[in-house]
Amino acid sequence: MQEEIIRIQGLSKHYKVGMEVVKALRGVDLSIYRNEYVALMGPSGSGKSTLMNILGCLDTPTSGSYYLNGKDVSKLPDNELAEIRNREIGFVFQTFNLLPRSTALDNVALPLIYAGQNKFIRRERALKVLDQVGLSDRTHHRPNELSGGQRQRVAVARALINNPSIILADEPTGNLDSKTSIEIMGLLQDIHAAGNTIILVTHEEDIALHAHRIVRLLDGEVSYDQVNESIATIEQPTQAS
Amino acid sequence: MAVSFLQEKCIEFIHTVFLLLLHLQQGIMTNREEKIIGRRLKTSYITTVASITLVLFVLGLLGVTILFTRQLSDHVKENIEFTIFLHNSAGLPEITGLQQSLEAMDAVKSTEYISKEQAAEELMEELGEDFVEFLGYNPLSSAVIARLNASHANPDSLAVFEEVVSKNSIVAEVDYQKDLVQLVNDNIRRIGFGMLIFSTLLVMIASALINNTIRLSVFSKRFLIKSMQLVGATQSFIRKPFIKKGLLQGFLSAIISNILLVIFLYTLERKVPGLFLFDDLTLLSALLLIVIFLGLIISWISTYFAVRKYLNVKTDSLYYY
Repeated sequence: MQEEIIRIQGLSKHYKVGMEVVKALRGVDLSIYRNEYVALMGPSGSGKSTLMNILGCLDTPTSGSYYLNGKDVSKLPDNELAEIRNREIGFVFQTFNLLPRSTALDNVALPLIYAGQNKFIRRERALKVLDQVGLSDRTHHRPNELSGGQRQRVAVARALINNPSIILADEPTGNLDSKTSIEIMGLLQDIHAAGNTIILVTHEEDIALHAHRIVRLLDGEVSYDQVNESIATIEQPTQAS
Repeated sequence: MAVSFLQEKCIEFIHTVFLLLLHLQQGIMTNREEKIIGRRLKTSYITTVASITLVLFVLGLLGVTILFTRQLSDHVKENIEFTIFLHNSAGLPEITGLQQSLEAMDAVKSTEYISKEQAAEELMEELGEDFVEFLGYNPLSSAVIARLNASHANPDSLAVFEEVVSKNSIVAEVDYQKDLVQLVNDNIRRIGFGMLIFSTLLVMIASALINNTIRLSVFSKRFLIKSMQLVGATQSFIRKPFIKKGLLQGFLSAIISNILLVIFLYTLERKVPGLFLFDDLTLLSALLLIVIFLGLIISWISTYFAVRKYLNVKTDSLYYY
């Protein structure tokens, strides 16, 4: 039986915009298991960013529960959420979110500073993950000295350094050309093959086809949740239907 | 065969040279970019400190104006003359006794005796003709002029003072400009109220300006804040270096503005005679300390809220600010 990593039940998120209450999520139920590769899709305003923020412990729900590795994280205070983000979640964003004045090595080692690891361990582990993403020759380069694809690789390495339970990738190819996008999707594919759980937020059908399960959101509710029968691999990319 | 080998070596050489040039160019570009970024950071720091310094300098000037206005109002009040006309029969020992008893009072700052002759001389000088010769006698009385302490120069205290002084047997009449006293007090109250409103407004504007400057400085680091948050830094961990920097900027600005303020006041005192701005050093020191306190507190509050704002903003929304 597969181990459940994420379980959300009746998850709702309401925002107050002026006098109006916007219901971004309306009672979402979802379970994600270890080593799953899930694509979260939906049009603008469907609630996928809100769900991603809650899954990433960057926001808390208005109601409902969110269990991450069996622990209810839906009502935790900010400091505990920060700790969960540090230990359990690796983020990969469209905009890379790297520190511009720090080298690739320092950027990758950053989560370990907050985790309280010493300099030696930080360096060792950062070098290892940078090698894993194919950037062992770019460790002392700053983000402005790297290409878009290399920056995203640094972001992926940073996401991997703490061996997180889940990797949340929000439009990871949004800022990249098609060739580099394929490279990054190949990297995510390898990471998944190594046993990691990946949640990919995207609006691009061909990118979503790399995932093994596709969840679609519409108006704050799950409208579709199916196993992907035609998984696209880097060797044989499938055309979006 | 040999040609093909040579061709291959040539291509390899050109490729190596090209790569070397590319690395060199990248190195130059990187150095140049680093210099530009470094210069920008320095400029941004200097601009922030300069802006806060100017605002604190204006606040310091306001403080000096308030202190100086108080000195000025005391000066005006203490120059209000209270004239005590004496009976012609009053002898010098009685007059000296009256002067001594007046000077012993809390309300009185100083007294001055004007004899009949002195009064006649002064009036003749003013009129330009010898009225004593014309009249055949000196109609003026001798008088004691009392100047009061600023705290007693108000209509109520003066009425009591008048009553007490009138009881003395050598006093013929007491005269002072009741309307002027009332007017001075009313005007000082009005000016004080105006200053209070102006000061409140200026402190609010100063806080808003410093807040805006610091917010802009934090705004430029909003992505950094978000990146630190994403990798699991706690809010207090992220906030700490910003608060430290904010406090340092506030302190530095306050010190510079205090130096400017002291230079300005020193120059003003030398150029404008009659200004005694350094007379009360305790008050001036207190003012300089208040400027430092304001610099620190406004910078701290502004930095705290500016960082908090970006900690609560979603990653996507950072672009819309």
